[in-house]
Amino acid sequence: MTPPAWLGQNWLAPHYLIWLLKGALLAAWLALLVCIAATLLGTLLTALQASHQRAIRIPTDTFLSLHRNTPLMVQLLLWYFGVSGLLPDDAKQWLNTPHVLALPAGLSLAWPSFEFLAAFTALTLYSASFIAGELRAGLRGVSDNQRAAAQALGLTPWQTFRWIVLPQALVIVRRPLVGQYTAVIKNTSLTMTIGVAELSYSSRQVETETLLAFQAFAVATVLYLALVLLLQISGRKPVPAWRPAP
Amino acid sequence: MPDFLASNLDYLLWGNLAHGAPGGLLLSLLMSVAAGIVASALGLAGGTALVMGGPRLRSVLKTLVVLLRAIPVLMLIFWCYFLLPILFGIDIPGVLTVIAALAIINAAYLSQSVQSGIEAIGRGQWGAGLSLGLTRWQTLRHIVLPQALRIMLPSFINQWITLIKDTSLAYVVGVAEFTFVATQVNNREQVYPLQIFAFVGLGYLLVCGGLELLGRRWERRWRYGAA
Repeated sequence: MTPPAWLGQNWLAPHYLIWLLKGALLAAWLALLVCIAATLLGTLLTALQASHQRAIRIPTDTFLSLHRNTPLMVQLLLWYFGVSGLLPDDAKQWLNTPHVLALPAGLSLAWPSFEFLAAFTALTLYSASFIAGELRAGLRGVSDNQRAAAQALGLTPWQTFRWIVLPQALVIVRRPLVGQYTAVIKNTSLTMTIGVAELSYSSRQVETETLLAFQAFAVATVLYLALVLLLQISGRKPVPAWRPAP
Repeated sequence: MPDFLASNLDYLLWGNLAHGAPGGLLLSLLMSVAAGIVASALGLAGGTALVMGGPRLRSVLKTLVVLLRAIPVLMLIFWCYFLLPILFGIDIPGVLTVIAALAIINAAYLSQSVQSGIEAIGRGQWGAGLSLGLTRWQTLRHIVLPQALRIMLPSFINQWITLIKDTSLAYVVGVAEFTFVATQVNNREQVYPLQIFAFVGLGYLLVCGGLELLGRRWERRWRYGAA
Protein backbone atom coordinates (compact mmCIF):
# COMPACT_ATOMS: atom_id res chain seq x y z
CA MET A 1 0.00 0.00 0.00
CA THR A 2 1.47 3.34 -0.93
CA PRO A 3 0.71 6.28 1.32
CA PRO A 4 -1.01 9.30 -0.25
CA ALA A 5 1.35 11.79 -1.86
CA TRP A 6 0.75 14.56 0.68
CA LEU A 7 2.05 12.25 3.39
CA GLY A 8 5.49 12.38 1.83
CA GLN A 9 7.67 9.49 0.74
CA ASN A 10 8.73 7.98 4.01
CA TRP A 11 7.75 7.41 7.51
CA LEU A 12 10.20 8.73 10.13
CA ALA A 13 13.37 6.76 10.75
CA PRO A 14 13.62 5.34 14.30
CA HIS A 15 16.27 7.77 15.49
CA TYR A 16 13.97 10.69 14.68
CA LEU A 17 11.27 9.08 16.80
CA ILE A 18 13.80 8.86 19.62
CA TRP A 19 14.50 12.60 19.27
CA LEU A 20 10.80 13.26 19.61
CA LEU A 21 10.46 10.95 22.61
CA LYS A 22 13.38 12.66 24.31
CA GLY A 23 11.67 15.98 23.63
CA ALA A 24 8.46 14.69 25.21
CA LEU A 25 10.37 13.50 28.28
CA LEU A 26 12.04 16.87 28.70
CA ALA A 27 8.68 18.64 28.30
CA ALA A 28 7.16 16.33 30.94
CA TRP A 29 10.08 16.86 33.34
CA LEU A 30 9.94 20.65 32.96
CA ALA A 31 6.14 20.61 33.38
CA LEU A 32 6.39 18.49 36.53
CA LEU A 33 8.94 20.81 38.16
CA VAL A 34 6.91 23.87 37.17
CA CYS A 35 3.64 22.40 38.50
CA ILE A 36 5.20 21.69 41.90
CA ALA A 37 6.93 25.06 42.20
CA ALA A 38 3.95 27.03 40.84
CA THR A 39 1.53 25.36 43.24
CA LEU A 40 3.72 26.28 46.20
CA LEU A 41 4.22 29.85 44.97
CA GLY A 42 0.53 30.12 44.04
CA THR A 43 -0.44 29.10 47.58
CA LEU A 44 1.87 31.74 49.00
CA LEU A 45 0.43 34.39 46.64
CA THR A 46 -3.13 33.43 47.66
CA ALA A 47 -2.21 33.86 51.29
CA LEU A 48 -0.56 37.24 50.62
CA GLN A 49 -3.57 38.36 48.64
CA ALA A 50 -5.85 37.59 51.58
CA SER A 51 -3.74 39.84 53.81
CA HIS A 52 -5.45 42.73 55.56
CA GLN A 53 -2.44 44.96 55.07
CA ARG A 54 -2.46 47.06 51.94
CA ALA A 55 1.34 47.15 51.87
CA ILE A 56 1.24 43.40 51.23
CA ARG A 57 -1.92 43.16 49.17
CA ILE A 58 -1.20 45.84 46.57
CA PRO A 59 2.23 44.52 45.49
CA THR A 60 0.73 41.02 45.29
CA ASP A 61 -2.14 42.20 43.09
CA THR A 62 0.31 44.09 40.87
CA PHE A 63 2.48 40.99 40.53
CA LEU A 64 -0.51 38.87 39.55
CA SER A 65 -1.86 41.39 37.06
CA LEU A 66 1.55 41.90 35.43
CA HIS A 67 2.04 38.19 34.94
CA ARG A 68 -1.49 37.42 33.78
CA ASN A 69 -1.86 40.26 31.31
CA THR A 70 1.40 39.92 29.41
CA PRO A 71 2.25 37.07 27.04
CA LEU A 72 4.28 34.18 28.40
CA MET A 73 6.49 34.54 25.31
CA VAL A 74 7.55 38.05 26.35
CA GLN A 75 8.16 36.90 29.92
CA LEU A 76 10.36 34.06 28.66
CA LEU A 77 12.39 36.39 26.46
CA LEU A 78 12.66 38.88 29.31
CA TRP A 79 14.11 36.26 31.64
CA TYR A 80 16.36 34.76 28.99
CA PHE A 81 17.80 37.90 27.42
CA GLY A 82 17.02 40.49 30.06
CA VAL A 83 18.08 38.84 33.25
CA SER A 84 21.20 37.30 31.78
CA GLY A 85 22.28 40.85 30.97
CA LEU A 86 21.99 41.81 34.61
CA LEU A 87 24.15 39.00 35.91
CA PRO A 88 27.85 39.62 36.52
CA ASP A 89 30.14 38.07 33.89
CA ASP A 90 31.48 35.43 36.26
CA ALA A 91 28.01 34.16 37.07
CA LYS A 92 27.07 34.12 33.38
CA GLN A 93 30.11 32.06 32.54
CA TRP A 94 29.44 29.66 35.37
CA LEU A 95 25.82 29.19 34.26
CA ASN A 96 26.78 28.60 30.66
CA THR A 97 29.34 25.88 31.39
CA PRO A 98 28.07 22.42 32.28
CA HIS A 99 28.37 21.32 35.88
CA VAL A 100 27.91 17.80 37.06
CA LEU A 101 27.41 16.85 40.66
CA ALA A 102 28.65 13.31 41.27
CA LEU A 103 26.38 11.34 43.55
CA PRO A 104 27.20 8.09 45.32
CA ALA A 105 26.43 4.79 43.57
CA GLY A 106 27.65 6.03 40.21
CA LEU A 107 24.77 8.49 39.73
CA SER A 108 25.35 12.06 38.72
CA LEU A 109 23.22 15.17 38.71
CA ALA A 110 23.79 17.72 35.98
CA TRP A 111 23.19 21.36 36.78
CA PRO A 112 20.51 22.50 34.31
CA SER A 113 21.41 24.72 31.39
CA PHE A 114 20.74 28.44 31.53
CA GLU A 115 17.88 28.02 29.02
CA PHE A 116 16.24 25.45 31.26
CA LEU A 117 16.58 27.69 34.32
CA ALA A 118 15.13 30.69 32.50
CA ALA A 119 12.26 28.55 31.17
CA PHE A 120 11.58 27.14 34.62
CA THR A 121 11.56 30.57 36.23
CA ALA A 122 9.33 32.22 33.66
CA LEU A 123 6.86 29.31 33.49
CA THR A 124 6.67 29.05 37.29
CA LEU A 125 5.94 32.74 37.84
CA TYR A 126 3.37 32.77 35.03
CA SER A 127 1.60 29.59 36.12
CA ALA A 128 1.64 30.54 39.81
CA SER A 129 -0.33 33.70 38.99
CA PHE A 130 -3.08 31.66 37.37
CA ILE A 131 -3.03 28.96 40.05
CA ALA A 132 -3.39 31.67 42.71
CA GLY A 133 -6.56 32.81 40.94
CA GLU A 134 -8.03 29.30 41.06
CA LEU A 135 -7.09 28.81 44.71
CA ARG A 136 -8.67 32.11 45.63
CA ALA A 137 -11.87 31.19 43.81
CA GLY A 138 -11.88 27.84 45.62
CA LEU A 139 -11.60 29.47 49.03
CA ARG A 140 -14.35 31.91 48.16
CA GLY A 141 -16.53 29.03 47.06
CA VAL A 142 -16.78 27.79 50.64
CA SER A 143 -19.85 29.36 52.22
CA ASP A 144 -19.31 31.85 55.06
CA ASN A 145 -21.87 29.92 57.07
CA GLN A 146 -19.36 27.07 57.28
CA ARG A 147 -16.83 29.39 58.89
CA ALA A 148 -19.45 30.80 61.26
CA ALA A 149 -20.59 27.30 62.24
CA ALA A 150 -17.00 26.25 62.92
CA GLN A 151 -16.41 29.29 65.11
CA ALA A 152 -19.64 28.67 66.97
CA LEU A 153 -18.29 25.21 67.77
CA GLY A 154 -15.28 26.89 69.35
CA LEU A 155 -12.66 26.13 66.67
CA THR A 156 -9.76 28.55 66.38
CA PRO A 157 -9.28 30.38 63.06
CA TRP A 158 -6.48 27.99 62.13
CA GLN A 159 -8.57 24.93 63.02
CA THR A 160 -11.48 26.35 61.05
CA PHE A 161 -9.25 26.76 58.05
CA ARG A 162 -7.53 23.40 58.36
CA TRP A 163 -10.51 21.17 59.10
CA ILE A 164 -13.54 22.98 57.66
CA VAL A 165 -12.57 25.39 54.86
CA LEU A 166 -9.56 23.66 53.27
CA PRO A 167 -11.12 20.22 52.68
CA GLN A 168 -14.10 21.79 50.90
CA ALA A 169 -11.96 24.24 48.94
CA LEU A 170 -9.74 21.39 47.72
CA VAL A 171 -12.79 19.64 46.27
CA ILE A 172 -13.73 22.84 44.40
CA VAL A 173 -10.24 23.54 43.00
CA ARG A 174 -9.48 20.01 41.88
CA ARG A 175 -10.77 20.37 38.32
CA PRO A 176 -9.53 23.93 37.71
CA LEU A 177 -6.10 22.87 38.99
CA VAL A 178 -5.95 19.98 36.54
CA GLY A 179 -6.85 22.55 33.87
CA GLN A 180 -3.94 24.76 34.98
CA TYR A 181 -1.52 21.82 34.99
CA THR A 182 -2.69 20.96 31.47
CA ALA A 183 -1.89 24.54 30.50
CA VAL A 184 1.60 24.12 31.98
CA ILE A 185 2.25 21.08 29.78
CA LYS A 186 1.07 23.01 26.73
CA ASN A 187 3.01 26.12 27.70
CA THR A 188 6.30 24.24 27.88
CA SER A 189 6.12 24.31 24.06
CA LEU A 190 6.99 28.03 24.13
CA THR A 191 10.38 27.34 25.69
CA MET A 192 11.63 26.12 22.32
CA THR A 193 12.08 29.79 21.42
CA ILE A 194 14.88 30.16 23.94
CA GLY A 195 16.46 26.85 22.95
CA VAL A 196 15.10 24.30 25.38
CA ALA A 197 15.13 21.05 23.40
CA GLU A 198 11.61 19.97 24.33
CA LEU A 199 8.98 18.37 22.13
CA SER A 200 8.13 21.33 19.87
CA TYR A 201 11.81 22.05 19.43
CA SER A 202 12.56 18.48 18.42
CA SER A 203 9.55 18.38 16.07
CA ARG A 204 10.91 21.43 14.27
CA GLN A 205 14.35 19.83 14.21
CA VAL A 206 12.98 16.63 12.70
CA GLU A 207 10.95 18.66 10.22
CA THR A 208 14.02 20.61 9.12
CA GLU A 209 16.17 17.49 8.69
CA THR A 210 13.64 15.22 7.00
CA LEU A 211 11.26 17.74 5.39
CA LEU A 212 8.52 15.39 6.55
CA ALA A 213 6.35 18.09 8.14
CA PHE A 214 3.21 16.00 8.44
CA GLN A 215 4.91 13.07 10.16
CA ALA A 216 6.98 15.20 12.53
CA PHE A 217 4.03 17.26 13.74
CA ALA A 218 1.69 14.26 13.85
CA VAL A 219 4.02 12.37 16.20
CA ALA A 220 4.59 15.47 18.33
CA THR A 221 0.84 16.15 18.54
CA VAL A 222 0.13 12.57 19.60
CA LEU A 223 2.85 12.79 22.26
CA TYR A 224 1.32 16.02 23.62
CA LEU A 225 -2.11 14.38 23.67
CA ALA A 226 -0.60 11.44 25.57
CA LEU A 227 0.98 13.72 28.18
CA VAL A 228 -2.26 15.64 28.70
CA LEU A 229 -4.31 12.44 28.84
CA LEU A 230 -1.91 10.97 31.40
CA LEU A 231 -2.33 14.06 33.57
CA GLN A 232 -6.11 14.10 33.27
CA ILE A 233 -6.44 10.41 34.13
CA SER A 234 -4.21 10.79 37.18
CA GLY A 235 -6.15 13.90 38.17
CA ARG A 236 -9.49 12.10 38.19
CA LYS A 237 -11.39 11.91 41.40
CA PRO A 238 -10.50 8.64 43.12
CA VAL A 239 -13.41 6.25 43.52
CA PRO A 240 -14.24 5.95 47.23
CA ALA A 241 -13.15 2.64 48.71
CA TRP A 242 -16.69 1.63 49.66
CA ARG A 243 -17.96 1.96 46.12
CA PRO A 244 -17.23 -1.00 43.87
CA ALA A 245 -15.25 -0.04 40.79
CA PRO A 246 -17.44 -0.03 37.66
CA MET B 1 12.50 58.63 26.60
CA PRO B 2 15.79 56.71 26.33
CA ASP B 3 17.60 57.00 23.00
CA PHE B 4 17.47 53.35 21.93
CA LEU B 5 13.71 53.38 22.46
CA ALA B 6 13.09 56.66 20.67
CA SER B 7 15.00 55.52 17.60
CA ASN B 8 13.13 52.21 17.44
CA LEU B 9 9.71 53.34 18.61
CA ASP B 10 8.13 53.66 15.17
CA TYR B 11 9.38 50.27 14.12
CA LEU B 12 8.14 48.64 17.36
CA LEU B 13 4.70 50.20 17.06
CA TRP B 14 3.88 49.79 13.38
CA GLY B 15 6.78 48.14 11.58
CA ASN B 16 7.30 49.22 7.97
CA LEU B 17 3.86 50.74 7.62
CA ALA B 18 5.20 53.42 5.31
CA HIS B 19 6.24 50.68 2.88
CA GLY B 20 2.87 49.00 3.08
CA ALA B 21 3.92 46.27 5.51
CA PRO B 22 2.28 46.81 8.89
CA GLY B 23 4.19 45.21 11.74
CA GLY B 24 4.85 45.54 15.46
CA LEU B 25 2.03 46.32 17.85
CA LEU B 26 -0.24 47.35 14.97
CA LEU B 27 0.08 43.94 13.32
CA SER B 28 -0.55 42.19 16.65
CA LEU B 29 -3.76 44.21 17.02
CA LEU B 30 -4.85 43.54 13.44
CA MET B 31 -4.25 39.80 13.91
CA SER B 32 -6.16 39.85 17.20
CA VAL B 33 -9.16 41.59 15.64
CA ALA B 34 -9.27 39.27 12.62
CA ALA B 35 -8.82 36.07 14.62
CA GLY B 36 -11.16 37.37 17.34
CA ILE B 37 -14.02 38.01 14.91
CA VAL B 38 -13.67 34.64 13.20
CA ALA B 39 -13.24 32.80 16.52
CA SER B 40 -16.30 34.47 18.04
CA ALA B 41 -18.49 33.66 15.04
CA LEU B 42 -17.25 30.05 14.88
CA GLY B 43 -17.55 29.71 18.64
CA LEU B 44 -21.16 30.93 18.61
CA ALA B 45 -22.00 28.54 15.78
CA GLY B 46 -20.15 25.65 17.43
CA GLY B 47 -21.69 26.24 20.85
CA THR B 48 -25.16 26.47 19.34
CA ALA B 49 -24.56 23.24 17.43
CA LEU B 50 -23.38 21.58 20.67
CA VAL B 51 -26.80 22.36 22.15
CA MET B 52 -29.15 22.13 19.17
CA GLY B 53 -27.42 19.58 16.95
CA GLY B 54 -28.21 15.90 16.55
CA PRO B 55 -26.31 13.31 18.57
CA ARG B 56 -23.80 12.53 15.82
CA LEU B 57 -22.89 16.17 15.12
CA ARG B 58 -22.62 16.79 18.83
CA SER B 59 -20.23 13.92 19.47
CA VAL B 60 -18.04 14.89 16.50
CA LEU B 61 -17.85 18.49 17.69
CA LYS B 62 -17.20 17.43 21.26
CA THR B 63 -14.26 15.23 20.25
CA LEU B 64 -12.86 18.04 18.12
CA VAL B 65 -13.09 20.53 21.00
CA VAL B 66 -11.45 18.12 23.44
CA LEU B 67 -8.59 17.43 21.01
CA LEU B 68 -8.03 21.09 20.20
CA ARG B 69 -7.99 22.00 23.89
CA ALA B 70 -5.36 19.35 24.61
CA ILE B 71 -2.68 20.46 22.14
CA PRO B 72 -0.45 23.51 22.45
CA VAL B 73 -1.39 26.52 20.32
CA LEU B 74 2.14 26.41 18.98
CA MET B 75 1.55 22.91 17.53
CA LEU B 76 -1.59 24.12 15.78
CA ILE B 77 0.36 27.07 14.38
CA PHE B 78 2.94 24.63 12.98
CA TRP B 79 0.17 22.53 11.44
CA CYS B 80 -1.37 25.54 9.76
CA TYR B 81 1.91 27.16 8.78
CA PHE B 82 3.54 24.10 7.21
CA LEU B 83 0.58 22.11 5.98
CA LEU B 84 -2.15 24.54 4.87
CA PRO B 85 0.00 25.68 1.90
CA ILE B 86 0.73 22.04 0.96
CA LEU B 87 -2.91 21.07 1.35
CA PHE B 88 -4.18 23.88 -0.86
CA GLY B 89 -1.17 23.91 -3.14
CA ILE B 90 -0.84 27.69 -2.93
CA ASP B 91 1.41 30.10 -1.12
CA ILE B 92 -0.35 31.38 1.99
CA PRO B 93 1.26 34.28 3.88
CA GLY B 94 2.43 33.34 7.38
CA VAL B 95 0.16 35.93 8.99
CA LEU B 96 -2.93 34.24 7.57
CA THR B 97 -1.93 30.78 8.74
CA VAL B 98 -1.36 32.10 12.27
CA ILE B 99 -4.71 33.92 12.21
CA ALA B 100 -6.33 30.65 11.09
CA ALA B 101 -4.68 28.69 13.91
CA LEU B 102 -5.65 31.26 16.55
CA ALA B 103 -9.22 31.44 15.23
CA ILE B 104 -9.63 27.65 15.32
CA ILE B 105 -8.27 27.13 18.82
CA ASN B 106 -10.16 30.06 20.33
CA ALA B 107 -13.36 28.97 18.60
CA ALA B 108 -12.98 25.60 20.36
CA TYR B 109 -12.71 27.27 23.76
CA LEU B 110 -15.54 29.72 23.02
CA SER B 111 -17.94 27.05 21.79
CA GLN B 112 -17.72 25.44 25.21
CA SER B 113 -18.47 28.74 26.92
CA VAL B 114 -21.40 29.30 24.55
CA GLN B 115 -22.70 25.81 25.25
CA SER B 116 -22.60 26.24 29.01
CA GLY B 117 -24.03 29.76 28.69
CA ILE B 118 -27.04 28.46 26.78
CA GLU B 119 -27.45 25.53 29.15
CA ALA B 120 -27.40 27.87 32.12
CA ILE B 121 -30.69 29.40 31.00
CA GLY B 122 -33.50 27.62 32.84
CA ARG B 123 -35.80 25.15 31.15
CA GLY B 124 -38.73 27.40 32.02
CA GLN B 125 -37.51 29.91 29.43
CA TRP B 126 -37.49 27.26 26.72
CA GLY B 127 -40.91 26.03 27.80
CA ALA B 128 -42.30 29.56 27.80
CA GLY B 129 -41.01 30.20 24.29
CA LEU B 130 -42.31 26.93 22.92
CA SER B 131 -45.71 27.35 24.55
CA LEU B 132 -46.04 30.75 22.87
CA GLY B 133 -45.84 28.91 19.57
CA LEU B 134 -42.22 29.76 18.76
CA THR B 135 -40.08 27.12 17.11
CA ARG B 136 -36.95 25.83 18.87
CA TRP B 137 -34.75 28.12 16.78
CA GLN B 138 -36.97 31.17 17.38
CA THR B 139 -36.91 30.44 21.12
CA LEU B 140 -33.14 30.22 20.99
CA ARG B 141 -32.76 33.38 18.95
CA HIS B 142 -35.25 35.67 20.73
CA ILE B 143 -35.46 34.32 24.26
CA VAL B 144 -32.51 32.18 25.27
CA LEU B 145 -29.54 33.72 23.44
CA PRO B 146 -30.13 37.32 24.57
CA GLN B 147 -29.98 36.12 28.17
CA ALA B 148 -27.18 33.63 27.58
CA LEU B 149 -24.93 36.21 25.89
CA ARG B 150 -24.86 38.18 29.13
CA ILE B 151 -23.67 35.14 31.01
CA MET B 152 -21.05 34.44 28.35
CA LEU B 153 -19.61 37.95 28.13
CA PRO B 154 -16.92 37.47 30.82
CA SER B 155 -15.64 34.29 29.18
CA PHE B 156 -15.58 36.00 25.78
CA ILE B 157 -13.50 38.84 27.21
CA ASN B 158 -11.11 36.42 28.90
CA GLN B 159 -10.75 34.50 25.67
CA TRP B 160 -10.05 37.65 23.67
CA ILE B 161 -7.35 38.61 26.17
CA THR B 162 -5.81 35.14 25.83
CA LEU B 163 -5.96 35.54 22.07
CA ILE B 164 -4.15 38.89 22.13
CA LYS B 165 -1.40 37.33 24.24
CA ASP B 166 -1.22 34.32 21.95
CA THR B 167 -0.54 36.45 18.87
CA SER B 168 2.99 36.64 20.31
CA LEU B 169 3.40 32.99 19.23
CA ALA B 170 3.50 34.17 15.61
CA TYR B 171 7.07 35.13 16.50
CA VAL B 172 8.05 31.46 16.12
CA VAL B 173 7.15 31.38 12.42
CA GLY B 174 8.71 34.76 11.69
CA VAL B 175 5.63 36.98 11.42
CA ALA B 176 6.75 40.56 12.10
CA GLU B 177 4.37 41.20 15.02
CA PHE B 178 5.20 43.01 18.26
CA THR B 179 7.30 40.29 19.93
CA PHE B 180 9.19 39.39 16.76
CA VAL B 181 10.00 43.02 16.04
CA ALA B 182 11.18 43.39 19.64
CA THR B 183 13.65 40.51 19.25
CA GLN B 184 14.89 42.12 16.03
CA VAL B 185 15.48 45.40 17.84
CA ASN B 186 17.09 43.50 20.71
CA ASN B 187 19.48 41.74 18.34
CA ARG B 188 20.40 45.03 16.75
CA GLU B 189 20.92 46.97 19.97
CA GLN B 190 22.37 44.12 22.07
CA VAL B 191 22.59 46.34 25.13
CA TYR B 192 19.13 46.89 26.57
CA PRO B 193 17.28 43.54 26.50
CA LEU B 194 15.53 44.10 29.83
CA GLN B 195 14.24 47.53 28.85
CA ILE B 196 13.09 46.43 25.41
CA PHE B 197 11.13 43.42 26.62
CA ALA B 198 9.75 45.35 29.57
CA PHE B 199 8.49 47.97 27.11
CA VAL B 200 6.89 45.26 24.99
CA GLY B 201 5.31 43.70 28.07
CA LEU B 202 3.93 47.10 28.98
CA GLY B 203 2.42 47.42 25.50
CA TYR B 204 0.57 44.12 25.86
CA LEU B 205 -0.40 45.01 29.42
CA LEU B 206 -2.04 48.24 28.29
CA VAL B 207 -4.00 46.51 25.53
CA CYS B 208 -5.08 43.53 27.64
CA GLY B 209 -5.71 45.59 30.77
CA GLY B 210 -7.70 48.11 28.71
CA LEU B 211 -9.86 45.35 27.26
CA GLU B 212 -10.41 43.95 30.74
CA LEU B 213 -11.60 47.33 32.07
CA LEU B 214 -13.81 47.85 29.04
CA GLY B 215 -15.26 44.38 29.55
CA ARG B 216 -16.13 45.11 33.17
CA ARG B 217 -17.93 48.26 32.10
CA TRP B 218 -19.92 46.38 29.48
CA GLU B 219 -20.84 43.77 32.03
CA ARG B 220 -22.14 46.38 34.45
CA ARG B 221 -24.09 48.15 31.76
CA TRP B 222 -25.59 44.92 30.51
CA ARG B 223 -26.55 43.76 33.96
CA TYR B 224 -28.33 46.95 35.04
CA GLY B 225 -29.33 48.43 31.73
CA ALA B 226 -32.66 47.82 30.02
CA ALA B 227 -32.78 44.69 27.89
